[in-house]
Amino acid sequence: MTINPMHQFEVYKIGPEINLGKINLSFTNASLFMTISAILILSLLFFGTKKKSLIPSKIQLITEMSYTFIAKMINDTAGSGAKSFFPFVFTLFMFVLFCNMVGMLPYSFTVTSQIIVTFTLAAIIFIGATIIGFIKHGFKYLELFVPKGVPIILLPLIIVIEIISYLARPVSLSVRLFANMLAGHTMLKVFGGFVIGLGLLGGWLPLGFTVALTGLEILIAFLQAYVFAVLTCIYLNDALNLHH
Amino acid sequence: MNNLKEISTRLKIAKNNIKKVKEKNRGSNAASLGKALKISTELVAAVFVGSTIGFLLDNWFDTKPLLIICFFFMGVAAGILNVFKSAKKMNRKS
Repeated sequence: MTINPMHQFEVYKIGPEINLGKINLSFTNASLFMTISAILILSLLFFGTKKKSLIPSKIQLITEMSYTFIAKMINDTAGSGAKSFFPFVFTLFMFVLFCNMVGMLPYSFTVTSQIIVTFTLAAIIFIGATIIGFIKHGFKYLELFVPKGVPIILLPLIIVIEIISYLARPVSLSVRLFANMLAGHTMLKVFGGFVIGLGLLGGWLPLGFTVALTGLEILIAFLQAYVFAVLTCIYLNDALNLHH
Repeated sequence: MNNLKEISTRLKIAKNNIKKVKEKNRGSNAASLGKALKISTELVAAVFVGSTIGFLLDNWFDTKPLLIICFFFMGVAAGILNVFKSAKKMNRKS
């Protein structure tokens, strides 16, 4: 029996095929695990805020900690002017975190290992931040592409470079999350395959590796959600405060 | 009431402990790993975007392979600029 480490990333549809014009809207395993993550987040927040006791229960503590964690992060990276974007950043962070963490469970599917999912999230952030920048500053927002103190001869080149570096934001944001999840889960599967392949005799070493890698992957899953949220705050900061 | 007082003293002790730990391993926490991961992709992404723009413009103006070469190097420059910017941001913070 051969074990294909990429098999776990296969998207297949569950239930009937739904077509809306030319768009395929079938319910897939990716949609299923996104729904599971969303339900988990909602139930965590629901049960965490149900009984507001002065001495918090564990679930209430988790809810409050995640709230203060994001609130502090927004305050530190984007300033107090970005307070109104708290719901967006919080939703984003929780969604990415839960998708990553649900993906760590055996037999589950990692939604964030699909580039289209991460790129959609990144594109929403990128387009949203750009629109906010234009609403807030009008055409002055284009000053973001013109650094101060550059000789006029070099200006055309610098502007093109700045525009490329601006356009690279959603790509780096999405590729980072996607690549980390894809690489981590592939590696876990490969080492898992070694355990089966080497059997009782030599399988113990890769088994140890798998355990260690699982720990690392949980760290990465949290870290990537954190980085995703921090970068969202940084882009919002650029859009709101406009200085280099 | 007694219970509350006890909790407030326990909180104080816990907060002090956290402060001590934080001072001990400042900079060696998971946040640094996050920064490293962040910088590494920034360089690659800009090169990719630059080359893509060059490729699209080449197809549009029929000037293969002139623009893709130009935009590749501009992408490299943009990537380095991105890394430089985020490194500067980190320096300012710490």
